[in-house]
Amino acid sequence: MKKRIYLWVPSENVHKPIISNAILNTKININILKAKIEPQEAFLILELNGDEDKVNEAIEYLSKYGEIEEISKVIKRDEEKCVDCGACITMCPVEAIKMDDDFSVVFDENECIGCKSCVKVCPFKAIEVDDI
Amino acid sequence: MKTIKEINEKIRSGDVVVVTAEEMIGIVEDVGPEKAAEEVDVVTTGTFGAMCSSGVFLNFGHADPPIKMLKIYLNGVECYGGLAAVDTYIGATQPNSDPDIDIDYGGAHVIEDLVAGKEVELVAEGYTTDCYPRKKVRTTITLDDINQAILVNPRNSYQTYNAATNSRDEKIYTYMGTLLPEFGNVNYSGAGQLNPLQNDYNRKTKTYNTIGIGTRIFLGGGIGYIIGEGTQHNPDNAFGTLMVKGDLKQMDRKYLRAATIPNYGSTLFVGVGVPIPVLNAEVAKCCAIRDRDIEVPIIDYGVPRRDRPVVARTNYEELRKGKITIEVEIDGKKVEKTIKTSSVSSYKMSREIAKELKDWILKGEFFLTERVDVLGKGSAKPMKSDVKLVGEILSKPPIVAPIGITIEEASRILIKNNINHLPIVDEFGRLVGIITSWDIARAIAQNKKSIEEIMTRNVITTTVNEPVDVVARKMDKYNISGVPVVDKENKVVGMVTSEDLSKLVGYTNKW
Repeated sequence: MKKRIYLWVPSENVHKPIISNAILNTKININILKAKIEPQEAFLILELNGDEDKVNEAIEYLSKYGEIEEISKVIKRDEEKCVDCGACITMCPVEAIKMDDDFSVVFDENECIGCKSCVKVCPFKAIEVDDI
Repeated sequence: MKTIKEINEKIRSGDVVVVTAEEMIGIVEDVGPEKAAEEVDVVTTGTFGAMCSSGVFLNFGHADPPIKMLKIYLNGVECYGGLAAVDTYIGATQPNSDPDIDIDYGGAHVIEDLVAGKEVELVAEGYTTDCYPRKKVRTTITLDDINQAILVNPRNSYQTYNAATNSRDEKIYTYMGTLLPEFGNVNYSGAGQLNPLQNDYNRKTKTYNTIGIGTRIFLGGGIGYIIGEGTQHNPDNAFGTLMVKGDLKQMDRKYLRAATIPNYGSTLFVGVGVPIPVLNAEVAKCCAIRDRDIEVPIIDYGVPRRDRPVVARTNYEELRKGKITIEVEIDGKKVEKTIKTSSVSSYKMSREIAKELKDWILKGEFFLTERVDVLGKGSAKPMKSDVKLVGEILSKPPIVAPIGITIEEASRILIKNNINHLPIVDEFGRLVGIITSWDIARAIAQNKKSIEEIMTRNVITTTVNEPVDVVARKMDKYNISGVPVVDKENKVVGMVTSEDLSKLVGYTNKW
């Protein structure tokens, strides 16, 4: 399974290699989508890949060092504005947007990494992507 | 042999057999064109894509006191003022004139707002005459307040359109959408096997079987008419176009949509559906055209010339798969590349239009018309205009310097030759960097010692075959004052500077 989370790390834990330890301890695959370190805290967006137990184990581990919030839906479409042209499809670096057999454009919210490449090319401004 | 009159009788009596162009493919495959022509009366087609050449004639009625409008703005978008006193034409691609709004709001958006029933601000100014004493008018109007609103599109519904890709090493923004560097994507447009002209095209005679002036059609959700061949109509190459008109007041926002192509501007997505009366086996056969039968050239939009190179030829079936493998040339080497494809028009909407038109006919709400004349032969020749190429303004042999040169030597070359730009080359004369007099000034200020420390390595270049307009835009875009001219091996053959370009505009004879 795949789960994406926000992770806020307080300043006292910023210097600790918590991501490395989470990987080593739980053998989970972590993809860092965003990382920002500021004096008062660090902010990360992580994508956790692995079986459900491992993912939960990693979340449990990470929550000892920071605050976690799960990211559910990043990409949103205004159904009324979208005409299913498909101009967004090739812009997606992770193939989260596809054309189905009925020529409808479909979004895979789980795959979206929030890069907004699709937002920029949409001729109808029909796509919204939450800032992550 | 059937006649349109007979088909209309069948529509009236409810006995008509109507299928979409997609459904017709299977029918002709199963029973052959003769039998299909007996069974099917009408084939409906549809297309829904960006149709830049769209616009609306509007008549506002007279103000009191009357005004002869000359400069006309609707929601800040300028409309054409050269018609009679209170008529205008608003074009879909006209950008708004308000510097606070970007190009994202244009004529197409005004048209969509009108169709949506929204209030639109009208501001107009004229010159006063005895019968038109009023100078200015400012009011808000809706579509209901306007006498006539007639969509008239001089060029619509292309039979086929080129697919677009980009050989450059930078992203470009075109009317075919955003094209990624080094053949990163292929964008295409068109309904292919559902396209009106494609289904009516006789490949032997290169003419259209039933479509002509007076053909009644589905236009933007209302009823419209074909009023002739469109501009740049080119039936000899299966690139026909249509000129159409329809009453905007009947139209539906679902089938008439304003769009903004990033860094290009506004355009109108228009839904067009044309019924094809299946008069005989020949017509039936043409309606069975499939996506795989329609050739689509993939054009390199990275070359900013009129005759852009054809990278490969494919068809709609291949393009709709989402990926295509073609041979492309990258850095002088031919490589096979699998490229993702995106449609910039909507096949789903094209289907809905063909189906909607089918429903209208089945319900007895839409009757076919006999054409009063065939479409003209058209013409799609290029504009007679001069092009000045970089090669034409290159006179002096290139002044270059080898990579090992000292800053002092470089500055001497600049002064001796009275130039500001010095391309740096390797032992084979290939460009590796450039230094300017500014770089030398900076080197002294910052106490830099070697050319390699101060030269710019990512050099913007041009070639002898590039138009000077393209070079001028590059200099403006990258904020530079000189561009080395290189050949295919990246050897420097000259230098174009902003001084060279200003001579083209402000040339004075010194002799």
